[in-house]
Amino acid sequence: MWLERWWFTVPLRVRSIFRGGQLERELDEELQFHLDHKIEEGIAKGLSMEEARRAALRSMDGLEQRKEEMRDARRIHWLTDFLDDTRYAIRSLRRSSGLSAFVVITLALGIGMSAAGFSMVDGLILRPYPVPHPADVVSLVSTSRDDAFGDFSYREYLDIRRQTKSYDGVVASGAMQTVGFSANAGATPRVRGGMLVSANYFRVLGVEPQLGRGFRDDEDQVAGRDAVVVLGRDFWNHEFGGDPSVVGRTVRLNGIDFTAIGVAPESFPGLLIFSRPDFYIPLAMERLFSTSPQKDFFEDRDDRQLSVKGRLKAGATLQQARSELAVIAQNFEREYPKINRDRGAAVRTQLEMRTRDDQTEWKFIVVFAVLAIAVLSVACTNVAGLLLSRAQTRTREIAVRLAMGAGRFRLVRMLLTETLVLACLGGLGGVGVAYGAIRFFHTLSIPTELPTFIPFQLDARVLIASVALSMVSAVACGMAPALQGTRADLVNGLKASGVDASGRKRLWSRNALVVAQVAMSLMLLTASFLMMRGFHHGVAAAAGFAKDHLLMSGFDPRLVQYNAAQTQRFYQHLVERVRATPGVQSAGLTRNPPLGLGEFGRIAFVPDDFQMPRDRENFTSSMDTVDDGFFETMGVPILRGRGILRSDTADAPRVAVVNEQFAKHYWLGADPVGKHIRLDGRTGASIEVVGVARTVTYRQTTERPTDFVYVPLAQHPNPRMILLVRSAGDPHQLIDPLKDIVRSLDANLPMSDTRTYEDVYRYNAVEGPGAGIEIVAVMGAVGLVLAIAGLYGLVAYTVSRRTREIGIRMAVGAAPSDVLRLVMSTGLVLVGIGTAIGLAMGFTLEQVMNSTLFNAGGVDIAAYLMVVPSMFLITMLAAYVPARRASRIAPTEALRYE
Amino acid sequence: MSKPTDLVQGTLDLLLLKILALEPLHGWAISLRLKSISGDVLQVSEGSLYPALHKLEQEGWIKAEWKQTENNRRAKFYSLTRLGRKQLESETANWTRLSAAITRIVHLSEV
Repeated sequence: MWLERWWFTVPLRVRSIFRGGQLERELDEELQFHLDHKIEEGIAKGLSMEEARRAALRSMDGLEQRKEEMRDARRIHWLTDFLDDTRYAIRSLRRSSGLSAFVVITLALGIGMSAAGFSMVDGLILRPYPVPHPADVVSLVSTSRDDAFGDFSYREYLDIRRQTKSYDGVVASGAMQTVGFSANAGATPRVRGGMLVSANYFRVLGVEPQLGRGFRDDEDQVAGRDAVVVLGRDFWNHEFGGDPSVVGRTVRLNGIDFTAIGVAPESFPGLLIFSRPDFYIPLAMERLFSTSPQKDFFEDRDDRQLSVKGRLKAGATLQQARSELAVIAQNFEREYPKINRDRGAAVRTQLEMRTRDDQTEWKFIVVFAVLAIAVLSVACTNVAGLLLSRAQTRTREIAVRLAMGAGRFRLVRMLLTETLVLACLGGLGGVGVAYGAIRFFHTLSIPTELPTFIPFQLDARVLIASVALSMVSAVACGMAPALQGTRADLVNGLKASGVDASGRKRLWSRNALVVAQVAMSLMLLTASFLMMRGFHHGVAAAAGFAKDHLLMSGFDPRLVQYNAAQTQRFYQHLVERVRATPGVQSAGLTRNPPLGLGEFGRIAFVPDDFQMPRDRENFTSSMDTVDDGFFETMGVPILRGRGILRSDTADAPRVAVVNEQFAKHYWLGADPVGKHIRLDGRTGASIEVVGVARTVTYRQTTERPTDFVYVPLAQHPNPRMILLVRSAGDPHQLIDPLKDIVRSLDANLPMSDTRTYEDVYRYNAVEGPGAGIEIVAVMGAVGLVLAIAGLYGLVAYTVSRRTREIGIRMAVGAAPSDVLRLVMSTGLVLVGIGTAIGLAMGFTLEQVMNSTLFNAGGVDIAAYLMVVPSMFLITMLAAYVPARRASRIAPTEALRYE
Repeated sequence: MSKPTDLVQGTLDLLLLKILALEPLHGWAISLRLKSISGDVLQVSEGSLYPALHKLEQEGWIKAEWKQTENNRRAKFYSLTRLGRKQLESETANWTRLSAAITRIVHLSEV
């Protein structure tokens, strides 16, 4: 029935909306037809032409009203009214174009920043996996005391896959790793990113290769047998120009010939946020990447490298999955007590994975989004205040409309339409601002060897968010003025436009606006000030080592199939020849320099002479593998004992260098040199601590001091190393000699990331975080400017409304200074309250930021000492200027003032 | 001139639907038909006729079409739709029930 009705009526409405003119003509013609007949009839009855015409019109009981009734019958007056309101709004906004422009710009900034904030929150936290039914995909993680989001080993993955019943499938994938790619056997390999995945990866995730096929189960059964690869879409496009004949072709990865069997679809750029794999390779081909010669990926249950995901079966709950996995983890612990002690397992949703506690990017983004929303609130408060003032000057207009019978609802609608127009313009500008902010992030070039993908984009989700933000802000800043404006008391409203009729209530809401603005901008200011200070503090403190005159270059002999012995020989020769090059002061090897771009390894140990807590098997610390030249080259001073020496070979007693923080942590007061730590557990291999290095910043300039252990490369072989070269002159001049040396050792071995350490440092420690902090600072500044403008306007307006009162006071004998004091004291009280609230909010924010983002060290009194008085000063100025003007007006003039 | 008795609310709709159920007509013809059928007892203000027709049209009960009259003028002819026919049936039933009830009550009071 409903459907049938619509079938008839919808076309009519559509026609009413779009063919209004034609309907109007038809309406006239229809009535004219009737009138003509009526007139004919009258003439036939013997009336004159004129009389008949008049009689005909009379019989219609008012032609125009009837026409209006007929138009109402079309039931689109809500729309035509809206269009009328919009037209009226545009006209009246054009009349006060300065105010309108200010409001639009204000809203554009607020909406734009919030939209940019949303885009980042979306990119990092909210955007679902690019697979069908992404909500069903959960992550299975291995948990331990130090890590709530750990990986599983291959054996563990197989057990989990076999024993769980809650999933349609369980997949495993390794981390993105560098792969040496060459299109044919002769070419020098280039560095690309590849990822190990289980054969069921695409099938379980519901991803259909765009070309060719995904993996068959039997291609993941025998280690090293099936060299097949699925290409990433972007890679296929860039490298092969989207040539479909690539399926079946041979590509060379790390020197092994692989057959390309398929291409992942465009809709699936992988599950990682910041990078997109170029190759998907079955787990069975793990030897392509094997990093630790000591461990066997396929056999060792503690070689945990796989991140495991499952797709929940229809009907299976997260709760079931969790308890099921918990039981499996208990079984692991019982069966393998040595390597699984204290180790559990958990099922985590996408959101839980993306908001992990140990990562800071998303926290920064959330702070950013919150600040953006604060800017938007300041903007809305501002606009609300302006509109409130404006509504008051329109009291007479509104009163006339009310007197003529306009409904209050209708008037509120009219006024809200005005703010809606403003907000839509602001939203439009906001999309531009958001676009600019997002572009800004895209311009940051990130010097990693694999391309880093910046997940912020201006997509449909962000546009929808912008529209929603515009609507919300329209209501937020338009509702109060509209309601207040239309409450006008008719008699007073018509009589005098200038008098504040129902004073108290109105004053109250304006005062609340002043307080809110002071509070909000104080919080913004505190936050940005705090971030700036924390950051600069960190950068200054990061000078724990030398950053200049350093050249670095990465090597991975696995790319040309070197075995462990060949690798060791290669690095030995490399360092020897580089040290012998003129202009080189020293050279050293490291897995990842401080504030570099890679990840540090972790070492598990038990320190001697330290009371282990009863329930702990071991402690862990970040570590680096270095050679004998590292400390000198990097400029990290050895404070006690010695550094790593050439004599610390594989056959020599095992040694390590720890940092000051580590020494303080475990052996406070005692001499750490000569102490021992045991690897992995109480019964592990013993290592002697031979030296203490200065604690520097390792990951971020703003980090707290952390434990750190250096072990010699010769005793902990590692294929992927970074060569550091300290030059006497410009490090760039060493690039060519270095290339020659590498070519003479092996012409096929690619060098990656050859650049000065300063470049990396500047990006990683200064520009990257600095860009974020710049944006926050800009936001703080914008918020402050908005707040000051709004504050000034509000206070000035309030004062000007009291001109008459001031006139009376002065007429009965008040001195100008009394008036000044009167006006200023109101301002002071408001600013005082605002400051108190703002301080409370700023303080809370500081606590949160300190505990999550970085260590700026306790309450930053200096920040408050600078922020609070300046805030006061500005507000006082905003109150003083109009107060002074008011106190100078001649009483006679003030009394007449409207 | 005193106004003719206002039609019972909603009755005009019923009358219009009924008239149009017989044949498609334009507004002027409908007003003539109304007068002639009801023998001037029910006087419909010509002014309220057109708004009523437009309302019925927007409800989807009748549809309009521009056609030539016998005098070769363009006029808007209204005719009943399928939906309108259903509406007519239900309104007729309603009216029968209502008038029967009122008749009964009126007769009761005479006794």
